[in-house]
Amino acid sequence: MNLDVEEVSFTYPGGVEALRDVSLTIAAGEAVAIIGENGAGKTTLVKHLNGLLKPTHGRVTIGDWDTREHSVARMAARVGFVFQNPDDQIVEQTVGDEVAFGPRRLGRAAPDALADATAALEQVELAAESKTHPYDLTTPQRKLVTLASVLAMHTPVVIFDEPTMGQDARGVALIGRIIETLKAEQRTVIIITHDIDFCATHFERVVAMANGRVLADGPAGRVLARADLLATTNVEPPQLIRLAQALGLAAAPLSVDEFIRAWTRRNEPDRRA
Amino acid sequence: MSSTPFSLYIPRDSGMHRLHPLTKLALVGFALILGLFLPGDWLTYLAFVLVILPLAAWAGILPRFLPAVLKTALPIVVSLFLVQGLFWPGGTPIFHLGPLSLKQEGVTFAIRSAGRFIMVISSFLLLTFTTRPDGLMLALSRHGVPNSIAYVMLATLQIVPRFQAKANTILDAQRSRGLETEGNLFIRLRALFPLIQPLLLGSIVDIEERAIALEVRAFGRAGPKTSLLMLHDTPAQRVVRWLLLLASLAIIGWRVYLGLAA
Ligand SMILES: Nc1ncnc2c1ncn2[C@@H]1O[C@H](COP(=O)(O)OP(=O)(O)O)[C@@H](O)[C@H]1O
Ligand SMILES: [Mg+2]
Repeated sequence: MNLDVEEVSFTYPGGVEALRDVSLTIAAGEAVAIIGENGAGKTTLVKHLNGLLKPTHGRVTIGDWDTREHSVARMAARVGFVFQNPDDQIVEQTVGDEVAFGPRRLGRAAPDALADATAALEQVELAAESKTHPYDLTTPQRKLVTLASVLAMHTPVVIFDEPTMGQDARGVALIGRIIETLKAEQRTVIIITHDIDFCATHFERVVAMANGRVLADGPAGRVLARADLLATTNVEPPQLIRLAQALGLAAAPLSVDEFIRAWTRRNEPDRRA
Repeated sequence: MSSTPFSLYIPRDSGMHRLHPLTKLALVGFALILGLFLPGDWLTYLAFVLVILPLAAWAGILPRFLPAVLKTALPIVVSLFLVQGLFWPGGTPIFHLGPLSLKQEGVTFAIRSAGRFIMVISSFLLLTFTTRPDGLMLALSRHGVPNSIAYVMLATLQIVPRFQAKANTILDAQRSRGLETEGNLFIRLRALFPLIQPLLLGSIVDIEERAIALEVRAFGRAGPKTSLLMLHDTPAQRVVRWLLLLASLAIIGWRVYLGLAA
């Protein structure tokens, strides 16, 4: 299912022009990271992808659905959305019920919803907490619960708004594994992040935004290597790329393996030329 | 000046907006007392038309003020008329609707209560629409109101938009997980239940965080504080405020006298 953003502009009721003529196509199974400084319009953009916001101008389609013509609740069957702040999302009295909420709303029978919830909780390593009250968990754990709540819905598209924020190294690694699983299942993954190394590790395509516009959109290695462009969005290239640039390597390595390969071949004739 | 977050303030360049916050408070307080303490059923409405509406027009906010008053008051007013009018115990029937009948006493009571309700809502909205919350707080503490009390007043004025913003975010999160909120009244009412827990728990967390934020910013420190905001006051406004205060007291006194005499 393709996501199509066609020449979308969006102005908030207060008058803030948060998106200006944004066009973007995301194919089924792509993994896309959206970066850019606070206020760039990242959240506004992804809220268009499940119909929470409707474009002031332009059009957004999710597969054959125009977001204007379907309620957000119906869109939820296609696009899962994990919000930034977990405390705005949790409604149930136990972690298990909370994770089953989405599958139930999508019309699954109680036992199936429960099975979905259990599987999703295992994915975020919180299966032992299914009877716990969500507010008895720590904030990073609650965030994982909201992640599980969306995983349990098995949507073809999953959007995460800053999922690694507030997580420790173990949490970040866990979220990384979840993203890899989703990618292996050919699901579309869209993430907003400030964690540029995380972005380099897991995402093949990067969209950089500033002032409501798309500044750059392309393969991670290319977008993340452009220090000049990233500087305008107040982001530094990933550590490995900066190291490679400092060493005068031509490559933009996104993983340690790529870095080693580039380093060991540094004296081979430059094939780029 | 742009609007401040979580306030209902509508920035305009009007005479009403430029008044000292205490003058606005006095004006609106006077209108409120007029509405609540005047005897009879219709004088309240008269106070609304003759005091509140002209002030809102002067402020240049009528197109947003009227719908806001209507939207807030309508559900209560309609239910007042239905419940009091139809279910007044005993009473004189003036109109029959199948097995039910509209009672004279119930309708009279509803007219009186609705007027008061509209008056309270509209004066509250008029004040918040035309007054920057920080200005009001500063004015109050400059005039000897303890900071903590000024803060409580301010927080009360801000609670409505805060709740509104939070409720919208929560509802968005629920809709994104398949909760149907669009459609008939029943669907929309049912969608409100999942809001209750995050709203209440969220507010408790908010309160704690606000308390900590206030503490680390030396809120509890005694003595006067410097403010970046400049308030403009005039001798004429001071006189008007005293007159309004005296007039308000006179109305209350007159009402108490009537009550005692009766
Ligand atoms: N509900 C809202 N009402 C008015 N303006 C908003 C609202 N949400 C965001 N904005 C404004 O829109 C712009 C983009 O915001 P957002 O999409 O949240 O940025 P990002 O997610 O990149 O930090 C900002 O200037 C922000 O202040
Ligand atoms: Mg954001």
